[in-house]
Amino acid sequence: MPEGIRIQVENHLGDCKECAESYHLLNLSDQVMEEEKRLQPNPFLVTRIMAGIEELEQNREIHLHIPVYLKVLKPVLISVSVAAAIFIGVMVGNIYLPAHPANSLPVEMVYMNDAALESVELFSQL
Amino acid sequence: MTDNEIIREIVQGERNMYRKLVERYQPMVFRTCMGFLHNKDDADDLTQNVFIQAYQTLTGFKHDASFSTWIYRIAVNASLNKIRKSSKNLLIQRLETVFGVEKSKEFSFAIPDSDNPENILILNEHREWVQKALNTLPENQRTAIVLSKYDDLSQKAIAEIMNLTEGAVESLIQRAKANLREKLSSIQKKKKK
Repeated sequence: MPEGIRIQVENHLGDCKECAESYHLLNLSDQVMEEEKRLQPNPFLVTRIMAGIEELEQNREIHLHIPVYLKVLKPVLISVSVAAAIFIGVMVGNIYLPAHPANSLPVEMVYMNDAALESVELFSQL
Repeated sequence: MTDNEIIREIVQGERNMYRKLVERYQPMVFRTCMGFLHNKDDADDLTQNVFIQAYQTLTGFKHDASFSTWIYRIAVNASLNKIRKSSKNLLIQRLETVFGVEKSKEFSFAIPDSDNPENILILNEHREWVQKALNTLPENQRTAIVLSKYDDLSQKAIAEIMNLTEGAVESLIQRAKANLREKLSSIQKKKKK
């Protein structure tokens, strides 16, 4: 910053409380960020990263050595098991049949006269 | 060796060459993660994840941008994803606070030169304010200010990383500073009451 402007800014900060506070707060945030910037990573981080990559490559090689038919067989078996379970469930459900259809009455019920049966009023007169 | 030459060797099977890239870019990735997470251990872990992710997708690196731009993008996205996941765990953290199982909020800073405990307390309090204020910024403003302040990148470099124009980056940084100022002011006023 040119010297003349710097002096003007400093003078203004001396007079203006609001600007001085804003400047102080921005300074504070800059200081905190500078402190965090100075932190160093773990000295063994590079070794950890390379070890992680080595493990990744080993797992990839193991995966490549599994035969293709085994990779396909597992999902196929699972699908077949689920389909079989559903099919058996439906078959078991169809085995059950009601003894009589729900909406048909016995023949004797047709000739029953409800009005001739014991009436509640008879009991109330007693 | 240039980055492209190293990448060519790695893709051809020389995976130990990746160490050169890691050593070259580890400090900047760490600083970027630190800018978002404010915790050294978390930043170490995330830096490790960033490099492993970069290795896994190295064959897809198209050389249309520089490797540094590419790895900055991975670091920024990984940091933002980590923050989003952490905010979902906020309920668990609050429960832990209620039941007194609080994780120590280690700032992992060097002990300041001042032996005065009061000064140390004030410094820690100021750090907490600034970190809290930074955490409330919208993602794009936060990204711009982290890349500007922590990585000392030019607006042109930030624009390339964020896929924006330089004018947009400048505007983001200005708004981020204004928001930071406002937020810090309100935190300070609350503490004074």
